[in-house]
Amino acid sequence: MSERTQQHHERELRLEHVWSNLPGWGALAAVNHTTVGLRFIATGLMFFLVGGLLAMLIRTQLALPEQDIIESSLYNQLFTMHGTVMMFLFAIPVLEGLAMYLIPKMIGTRDLVFPRLSALGYFCYLFGGLIILSSLVLEVAPDAGWFMYTPLSSATYSPGPGSDFWLLGITFVEISALSAGVELVVAILRTRANGMSLNRMPIFCWYILAMALMIVFGFPPLILGSVLLELERAAGFVFFATAGGGDPLLWQHLFWLFGHPEVYIIFLPAAGIVSTLIPVFARHPLVGYRWIVLSIITMGFVSFGLWVHHMFTVGIPHLAQAFFSVASMLVAIPTGIQIFAWLATLWHGKVVFRLPMLWILGFLVVFVCGGLTGVMLALAPFNWQVHDTHFVVAHMHYVLVGGMLFPLVAGLYYWLPHVSGRMPSDSLGRWGFWLFFGGFNLTFLLMHLTGLLGMPRRIYTYEAGLGWDWLNLVSSIGGFIMAIGVAVVIVDIVLHFRLGQRAGHNPWGADTLEWAIPMPVNTYNFSSLPGITTRHPMWDTPQLVESIAAGEHGLADVQALRRDIYGSDATTGKVKEVVHLPTNSWLPLMTALALAVLCISLLVKAYMLSVVFTVVALALSLRWSWENGAHPRAAPTDDNEPGAPPLHSRTCNGPGLWGMVVSLMADGTFFVSLLFGWFYLWTAAPEWTLPDQSPIQLVPMIFSGLLLTAAVGGFCVLVRGLRRGRATRLGPGMWLVAALGAGHWALLAGQLMSAPLAPTERAHDAVLTVILLYLLLHSGLAVIFTLLQAVRVRLGYTTARLPYEPVVIQPFWFYTLGVYWLSLLAFLLLPTAWSVG
Amino acid sequence: MKFSPFHPIHLFLGLIIWAAWFVALYGGLSVGCTIAPPASDEQAGTWINGVIVAVALLVGGYLLWCAYRCLQGASEAKLQKDSRLKVFISRTAAAVYLVSAFASLALGVPGLVLSPCV
Repeated sequence: MSERTQQHHERELRLEHVWSNLPGWGALAAVNHTTVGLRFIATGLMFFLVGGLLAMLIRTQLALPEQDIIESSLYNQLFTMHGTVMMFLFAIPVLEGLAMYLIPKMIGTRDLVFPRLSALGYFCYLFGGLIILSSLVLEVAPDAGWFMYTPLSSATYSPGPGSDFWLLGITFVEISALSAGVELVVAILRTRANGMSLNRMPIFCWYILAMALMIVFGFPPLILGSVLLELERAAGFVFFATAGGGDPLLWQHLFWLFGHPEVYIIFLPAAGIVSTLIPVFARHPLVGYRWIVLSIITMGFVSFGLWVHHMFTVGIPHLAQAFFSVASMLVAIPTGIQIFAWLATLWHGKVVFRLPMLWILGFLVVFVCGGLTGVMLALAPFNWQVHDTHFVVAHMHYVLVGGMLFPLVAGLYYWLPHVSGRMPSDSLGRWGFWLFFGGFNLTFLLMHLTGLLGMPRRIYTYEAGLGWDWLNLVSSIGGFIMAIGVAVVIVDIVLHFRLGQRAGHNPWGADTLEWAIPMPVNTYNFSSLPGITTRHPMWDTPQLVESIAAGEHGLADVQALRRDIYGSDATTGKVKEVVHLPTNSWLPLMTALALAVLCISLLVKAYMLSVVFTVVALALSLRWSWENGAHPRAAPTDDNEPGAPPLHSRTCNGPGLWGMVVSLMADGTFFVSLLFGWFYLWTAAPEWTLPDQSPIQLVPMIFSGLLLTAAVGGFCVLVRGLRRGRATRLGPGMWLVAALGAGHWALLAGQLMSAPLAPTERAHDAVLTVILLYLLLHSGLAVIFTLLQAVRVRLGYTTARLPYEPVVIQPFWFYTLGVYWLSLLAFLLLPTAWSVG
Repeated sequence: MKFSPFHPIHLFLGLIIWAAWFVALYGGLSVGCTIAPPASDEQAGTWINGVIVAVALLVGGYLLWCAYRCLQGASEAKLQKDSRLKVFISRTAAAVYLVSAFASLALGVPGLVLSPCV
């Protein structure tokens, strides 16, 4: 072995040592994006099989009229759980997993930017999913539909624990979605390869960026709705019950504010797969890259303006319906742009019909049909006619299966060699495709007709002779053919791990950077981090494969046993700092376990236990935050390492700041949703009443707000000093800010304790209680964060040279201040002024 | 516009304005119909319809102007060296503003024909 080869080998061993997972059970402490991403995908596929099994039971029951294989209450559980499992436990997590696996590889880095958050997200998803599924085993599954409409899901009409399983379990799972959303946004914006400017970013990253941001803004309304409904069910608060000033339609608004964007949250990454694969198999760059970016951005926004089209029959004024009808039709334009761009790429290229391409073609056919029926449903008069019929079920499956499952299978086949180093079987794969495609269309094409003939959804049986008999029978036969197709695909994938041909390097002839990595993939992706000069690195600079492996690019060797990646400028992609990442950790698993116990204790109404585990989860989170920033275990340094680019914990604009801001966007959406709920109930709830006198005293609230303002002002002074390289009286300053914040918190808590609020009698008081708790939570956290900083200053983890962490906390203080005064205005001053007027 | 046409904020600012207009439209309609509902026989000739159409024109016009500014920026950037990123941002931003203008105006169209509170 030559000396150079020996050095190269030793360098790779060092990388392997630093980046590898722990052996045996230690694998549960893995935070690496490849491991976590694959776990998401595998778990999602397991849940898909459960959801598919439930679908087969539904189709068995509906195959013939007047059957009693499944009785009505179980049938209600089955369709509720089918929708819930497919939407929350399969579609979103599996696509998140794919994005987590691919994004760092595509942008030329070694891991996601908050690896422990990825691991926490996975365990929350797994435990939440198991909690929800356990309700099925215990025969107490939710049965009010996957959208949980009130009052059907309220305690009066769903007295069992089914709805609680749904509300608590889904909220738990959504922690996972939100953490993935934050993680992906910051990773894409701040850790791209050197020189990967926005115009050179792989198109898949644009899709995932939009998806991740949509998760950040789309999920909080549902989390709020779930919290409010659970409070109503468990504690008797009034939000959705008409008596007392609530309104059941508020739930529908909150649910669909999440629910419609969710369709696009699912579609966008799938379309990203399509936009990635078509150029590869057409052997031609994507036509209209900029047009597609435009479409992605437009879809991301417009899809938030469609939610009321799910509520066209609830009695909204025609003009308001027309706004949503127009927006629903508008969203077809960016979809159309993408379809034409894909067709143009195929037209210009020389298409190679390999197996993934077959699934892409299936997608194009099925999704276009689903899109067309979507435009039909956007027309209010047609919508009224087919509302709650099987036509809607057929449309939804054309859009979701066509728009998500077909591209997903194409993607799985495409990236399979990446994971296994082997190729799938072409012949078995083609059988799987045609069985699935044929079965799918047999099931759902006819279901449009069943719906047009008037068959309602969610009925467990039907009378013979209504014209639905043969249609249902053929649909059920199609369903079973589709299931055989799924089985063939599974067999193909399982067998390929042993029998598949060894894949050559870049087996599909792709243009993106993930194919520059050795196959099967290692734990650190790139042996050295390349610079990027083109949008198609593997086509234009194929020699990257060798030069990366030879360590000719950045961060080729390990420094101080740290996991290092580059942090780059969000627009130009130029390297700005070295981001040091945390290594394997048990904290994500432990925190998720604490949250799981919290969730179960709420389910069984063991509230003392839930308080204990809330404290445990908080303590674990703080322990997690302790080994962060410039803590010697988070950022060990060598004396001889280069000073430029600097470590991110030595800067004022590290990824933590971006993570905080993106998290606050989600938090802000939660707050705005609550504000929406407040104004909605005020203006629309039929029995809403304002008390003659506000139960909250204004003067102590203003005084409390002034203390908070002083605390934030003080914190800003300290951070400004740090930014200028000064840390004069930093420690005492932190203690003073914490004391001011604690004073504010105590006054606020006193108000909550002393106010004559009646949340179980009046919706007005229920909303006020929730907002006071929300403000207390934020103020309390801000104080705790600041106290920790005071201690870190004393230990030398936060200094003028190490200004990172206070800069990250500053936006949280700003946010706390902003929501406090806004709440005072909207929830206290405005009603008072209104009453006086 | 305060920002340079090459700032990436323009890649989504137009649609944020559209979204704000959409929220104001839907929320404002509810409030308008609660506070001062016009007579039901007035069809589309009410004060609410007038406000909707006027604001749609205003918002749409502003967004069109933003699109024009971004296009101007793109033309200037083309003359500079290493300007691909700048051209990409300003042209895409111009298209986003155009789409936003179209969507904002389209939202005002129902106001021309439908009675607001029925």
